[in-house]
Amino acid sequence: MQCGWPLLGPLQWIRYVNKQVTVKAGKDEEHHGWLLTVDPVSASVVLVDFREDGGTSVQVVMGHAVEEVQVLQEADEETADRLRTSFLSPRTCSLDPEELRMRRRSVRSWLEKNRVPVEEEGDELRVAGVLTIRAPYGPEDCFSSNQTVLDRVQRLIQNLIQTQPDCPGLIPEHKPGLMNPSIRAQQQP
Amino acid sequence: MATPVSVLRLPKGPDSNSRGFDPKSPRFIALCRTSIFTSAASEVDSVELQREQQARSVLRETFLRCLLSMTNKKVQFHMYEKVKVEATFGASDIDVLNFQVSDLHTPIGVQKEALIRSQDVISFTFDV
Repeated sequence: MQCGWPLLGPLQWIRYVNKQVTVKAGKDEEHHGWLLTVDPVSASVVLVDFREDGGTSVQVVMGHAVEEVQVLQEADEETADRLRTSFLSPRTCSLDPEELRMRRRSVRSWLEKNRVPVEEEGDELRVAGVLTIRAPYGPEDCFSSNQTVLDRVQRLIQNLIQTQPDCPGLIPEHKPGLMNPSIRAQQQP
Repeated sequence: MATPVSVLRLPKGPDSNSRGFDPKSPRFIALCRTSIFTSAASEVDSVELQREQQARSVLRETFLRCLLSMTNKKVQFHMYEKVKVEATFGASDIDVLNFQVSDLHTPIGVQKEALIRSQDVISFTFDV
């Protein structure tokens, strides 16, 4: 039967943070790791394990499946710091401003060659007023609520990367765009 | 990559329109609490309530960042009946009741897109 873990509440759960714990779950699962957080909505336990090869693995145990949580030890300063900062900050860009500028210009030219309306807004590129491209202007840096535009722009940028992977400043030969006027007319406003 | 299988649908439930996700079904109501109550002590004491809310937001924010770091990563789900499946994580809903995943590898094939009920999951794991 379900134990009282989901009923403990935030003030109890937060006491387990930064402690090394063993969590028994389901019928016979046992998980060990540093407790990063407990979701107050689902009582799910997030455990972090720092592997010897330098990698970090995360296990999330659903609140409804938790049978028992046992504290093994408290984290020392170094581990606590590592827990706090190692992987939950957003991906930071490691290129210098000049390289970023060149890459932004290169992506912008490529989009313009493919008849995609694009404007520079500070460090970002704005496409057709519905999509934003942030540094470093790769396919995964595109943000939009319009799935069609997102898909097309991501593919275009992917083509750009594939044709000249190491030269962000080079502008390739013009290729027929995926966004030709007849298709664009069918898109949602 | 394996060819995706065609979309599988769960059989319809007894009330003919739910496939396991109907929020009005008795199963859902029994298992899926969507509102959280403050503790009894906090209802009386406002300082205690503030502390509880503070703890709640810290815990929730860390959890949300964890979910964010999971997007587009390969995740292994450990479910009941010794079922282990791997998929690419998409998103969770606000109550952490359903997970949207892509490329779900099941013993009968690859589901291109799928919804996994969190009540069926014991734990899941991924590498950062």
